[in-house]
Amino acid sequence: MNLKSFNRALWVYHINTGSCNGCDIEILAVLTPRYDAERFGIMLVGSPRHADVLLVTGPVGRSMADNVRRVYEQTPDPKVVMAVGNCGVEGDVFHEAYSLVGPIDQIIPVDVYVPGCPPRPEAIIEGVVKAWAKLETLARQEVS
Amino acid sequence: MSVVTYGYAVWSPIIWLVVLLVIAAIALYVRSRGQKRYKKGTAQTDVFISGIKVPPTEQRHVPAHNIYWGFFEALKGFYSAMMRPHTGILNDYMLWLVAVMAITVLVLIIVI
Repeated sequence: MNLKSFNRALWVYHINTGSCNGCDIEILAVLTPRYDAERFGIMLVGSPRHADVLLVTGPVGRSMADNVRRVYEQTPDPKVVMAVGNCGVEGDVFHEAYSLVGPIDQIIPVDVYVPGCPPRPEAIIEGVVKAWAKLETLARQEVS
Repeated sequence: MSVVTYGYAVWSPIIWLVVLLVIAAIALYVRSRGQKRYKKGTAQTDVFISGIKVPPTEQRHVPAHNIYWGFFEALKGFYSAMMRPHTGILNDYMLWLVAVMAITVLVLIIVI
């Protein structure tokens, strides 16, 4: 990947919209010494104000919809949204539940889908790389 | 410009000025390196409270008088009794003054 426009560390904000924590554990696995995504500058941050990527898990409960929307609006541009896990991608076994308003792309625009229940860390890393490539394109568009 | 020397320290306004200017230059440099992607006037510059809607300033700050809540609650009876005569009208206060003075004079006449 030729990083010219987005030539800095990639900061990710993770928001759980009602996940069972399976995906969240796999996201943490990405940061453990076995995969160690931080060596590439990919790290989780505590605020969307600092983030380049929004990493969303869970099928989006009714009470979380506004929060997800607000977090998306508070993330500076250019930004990329990743939906991680079957629940976030298409609702999975909960897709008809009365308490859900998701999946995530019903609430905010999603750029990268990482299916799996939960997805393996390698799949999440591949999704992050795709997000990075998308950011590179967006950053280039902003520059030109 | 005079330089005050104590034997173990020195005080010079010029040194202070230079130090302040250096600190200001460093602060401005750090600030200039900061995030510039926020769009002003949008949610991107709002306060972030875990995605919760930000309440108005007066609702999200704890006023100083809240610290005295227990104090006011314990002395509620005293305060409600004392606040009733405190109407804020000057005529009422003058009436209180005259009444208290009259009672004091009466008591003094009786006692003396």
